[in-house]
Amino acid sequence: MQFDGRASKILVIDHDRTTLEMIGLRLDVAGFHPLTARSGRAALEMLEASRPDAVILEWNLPDMSGLDLLRAMAAMPGRHAPVLLVGRNLAVEDIQAGMQLGVRDCLAKPFSGAAVLERLTRMLKRTGAAPAPARAVVHINA
Amino acid sequence: MNALMTSRTLAPSLTMTLDVLAAEIELAGARCIYLDRIIGDVMEGLPDADRARLVEGMHGVDLLAQHLTSLSAFARGLSVAVPEDLTVPVGGAMSEVTLGALVERMTAGLGGGDGDADEAEEASAGDIDLF
Repeated sequence: MQFDGRASKILVIDHDRTTLEMIGLRLDVAGFHPLTARSGRAALEMLEASRPDAVILEWNLPDMSGLDLLRAMAAMPGRHAPVLLVGRNLAVEDIQAGMQLGVRDCLAKPFSGAAVLERLTRMLKRTGAAPAPARAVVHINA
Repeated sequence: MNALMTSRTLAPSLTMTLDVLAAEIELAGARCIYLDRIIGDVMEGLPDADRARLVEGMHGVDLLAQHLTSLSAFARGLSVAVPEDLTVPVGGAMSEVTLGALVERMTAGLGGGDGDADEAEEASAGDIDLF
């Protein structure tokens, strides 16, 4: 498989430390460059500074709603990263509202690390937002 | 605030409890996968004899990761299957958890706080707390 050597930056926004660490580890092993934020405010600062290739966003944040954060992201100048929306009991109306503001896929909690990776990769390919992960993972079978 | 004190009075839904358990097992699995990657990286610079031993260890870590991700999937499946109105008192079980950071995270996930450990708690995330 050919990789272009550039790790895609993925911003994961979630208040839950377990989720953040789990997704961060899985992204890192898969060759992505994970960035994490635990609040909407921190996420906006990170978006401004790092310009990620994709965003994994938890709908319920402590300081602002997912919708408010998506509106703020949409108002930012430049290219907008595709968003994978995650959350518990996501309402259809929330997903539809998110779709108008950059959400390209959604995943209900609880989820596995494998499911997040699969949905993220599919979203990146579909939107053409970024190439595949930079590092090929080689498994050696004993 | 001591997360264990908070967790003593918690009675979350069984669904939420299983979800939190699934998430923690999934994280343990992700840590194994990460360790597996590190072992793979280290192996590249080793002589053949040492590599053989590490391959064995790597295989064990890989199996452990699969074991944990399967258990996590099982817990997630159970959380979907159980009635939503069932609640469980988690205090007694939580007192068996001896890692401070884990108690903090699980208590937050079960609705007993926001999981904001201060810097000292972060620094001692791997310490064993004996109650």
